Amino acid sequence: MSIRLLVVEDDPEIRSVLHSSLAAEGFDVRTAVSVSEAAAILHHALPDVVVLDLGLPDGDGLDLVRQIRKAHALPVLVVSARHQEAEKIKLLDAGADDYLTKPFSVGELLARIRVALRHRGTALDPAATVHELDGLKVDLRSRLVTVAGEPVHLTPTEFKLLARLVRSAGRVVTHRQLLADVWGAEYTDHTHYLRLYMGQLRAKIEADPAEPRHLLTETGVGYRLAVA
Amino acid sequence: MTLPAVRDDPATPSPRDWGVAILLLATATTAGLALDRYLSLTSQAMIYVLAVVVASYRLPWAVSVGCAFGAVILLNFFFVPPRWTFQVEGQEHLVALVTMLAVALVISHLASSLRRETRTARRSEQRARQLQALATGLADAKSPGEVAALAAEALAAAFPGPSVIALLTPQGEPDLPGDLAATFGDGMRCCIREGATLGPGTGRWPGLDAWYLPLGTGGQTTGAACVQNVSAYDHAGREHAQALCALVAQAAWRLKLTASMEAVRQEAQWHLVQSTFLAAISHDLRTPLAAIVGAASALQTQRDKLDAAGQERLLACIVSEARYLSTLTENTLQLVRLGHADRLDLDWVSMEEVVGAVLGRVRQRDQSRRIRSRVPPALPLIKADPVLLAQLLENLLDNALKYSTEGIDLAVRQVGDRLEVAVEDRGPGIAPGEEQAIFERYRRSDRSGRGGAGLGLAVCLAIARAHGATLTARRRDGGGSSFVLALPIHAEQPREVVE
Repeated sequence: MSIRLLVVEDDPEIRSVLHSSLAAEGFDVRTAVSVSEAAAILHHALPDVVVLDLGLPDGDGLDLVRQIRKAHALPVLVVSARHQEAEKIKLLDAGADDYLTKPFSVGELLARIRVALRHRGTALDPAATVHELDGLKVDLRSRLVTVAGEPVHLTPTEFKLLARLVRSAGRVVTHRQLLADVWGAEYTDHTHYLRLYMGQLRAKIEADPAEPRHLLTETGVGYRLAVA
Repeated sequence: MTLPAVRDDPATPSPRDWGVAILLLATATTAGLALDRYLSLTSQAMIYVLAVVVASYRLPWAVSVGCAFGAVILLNFFFVPPRWTFQVEGQEHLVALVTMLAVALVISHLASSLRRETRTARRSEQRARQLQALATGLADAKSPGEVAALAAEALAAAFPGPSVIALLTPQGEPDLPGDLAATFGDGMRCCIREGATLGPGTGRWPGLDAWYLPLGTGGQTTGAACVQNVSAYDHAGREHAQALCALVAQAAWRLKLTASMEAVRQEAQWHLVQSTFLAAISHDLRTPLAAIVGAASALQTQRDKLDAAGQERLLACIVSEARYLSTLTENTLQLVRLGHADRLDLDWVSMEEVVGAVLGRVRQRDQSRRIRSRVPPALPLIKADPVLLAQLLENLLDNALKYSTEGIDLAVRQVGDRLEVAVEDRGPGIAPGEEQAIFERYRRSDRSGRGGAGLGLAVCLAIARAHGATLTARRRDGGGSSFVLALPIHAEQPREVVE
């Protein structure tokens, strides 16, 4: 059975492009033009991934994300224009899995969908305990981090930060989520903690911290651990 | 600036005045008695007359009259035979005493009149000086607030009673402090409506104890003033108040005219900018659109005749031109947004991260890896909007990629209390004298045929300014351009985090 996608997008051109290019990849694509239509479809048949455009005519999709999160673990990808940071972050903090900035290529969208599907159903299960890419290896169970085979010593906070990103590998994690999970809910405004600690982590892990291969910055939104 | 005060002599005698009068009479008596052996009664009478003249000139009228009577009684008691009694012996002495009283009273009256006239003259002079000083002060006033403050100061200096001044709001209401009684507002509205002074001595609303004066008349009214505790007989005072108000009205009207002229000028300027902007944008949009439509229609109609490489070339053209359009749109929107933004949402930002994120995106357009970056470790954090900063840097790098074919250097360094980000290329460089002009909005440089860069640089400059940073361009020695962004480093860096 093919993977079912629900694309919520009000612009007919983009909707039709997404529909045909995703269908060409073998997905079973359904489309909705509004938040209410999407809610109705979700009520009847659950897809495997939802691609949700920001700025729909009947709402910003926040309620839809909350509704989906309350009942299901199904991944939600938010599609937004640049400079819609505030809305985007709101949806990510409410439980959306990732985002894409318009204009994006079909290749980028497919990559995001693949990451989302990999995390499907693992929201509660810390199964992703080993991360490996380009010489970086992080084993959460043994708390071992190696770069090109050499063990790297991390402080407890640095390790917690890296571990949080490993659990969401490939997906964006917002500043707020990182601060709340690593330092605690009362530190969600202290973005400078992240700036300082990410700097330290990059200095230990990256070959060129100024052009990171692993710890990617999503400007104004959060961080992402590269998976490819 | 302090305005000269208009001081007034007190009209009612004080105990001190009476004391001075008694002292004068006592002195005259002592002198008369001391020189008793050498003087006749006539000379002794003259000494008393002298005392009365001095009293009349220096003291209030009532005191000088009292002094005149006292002089006659004392002369009678001490010197007119029979001495040491109040009795008068002989008709001649009685006539002399009565005549002396009459003379003393006449002198007292004349001296008082003289004094009053002197006082009036002095007050007129003070008022004239005050008007002159106010006019000078108002000429320098730059805002309605300054005008109102000067007017309040002048009224307070000119009149003993409290005074209130209110300029009209754009809605045409007197702009009064909230804690004032509503009667002030009513009086002011009424005098503005009638275009004339109200209150004692004006024939309009004489029952009031305050004058209400409009600032200006007819359509040129700019506010109103109120002077409290005034007298109906103080015509000169009222005229002075009206003169002060006329000056203030002129100044306020001048400011209003200047402001509306400035608004008209700005609107004209805005329209000009707007149309230049639209013209430049539509020109910049047209070229990539033509390329996209051309390539797409070729694929649509001639797909079978094109070989695989040809199709690939057309597709690549569509994608790259569309991406260029997207950047152009983003920059246009950002300029408009920055034009309206009051304040940026600043947060602690690591320049290393911004550079990393921007390079991650720009590398897709830099397949040959022409950009070399140098970012030293452990740079201080800066206060910035990371999204805007990234857009600035991306524009600078795109610009360098577009205008040069060789290597591009991106360097971050700390110079004193500034963090500098330099983007340097070996392209054709900036024409001499154009270092400022290339940042002008919508200006297109023809240095490599393709326009549109002006908008990107205009956005860069707007973003830099919004951060209190400077962005400068210069020619490099040996060819090429150098763009340097210098961001302020806050002295107060966030504290180190405790593990």
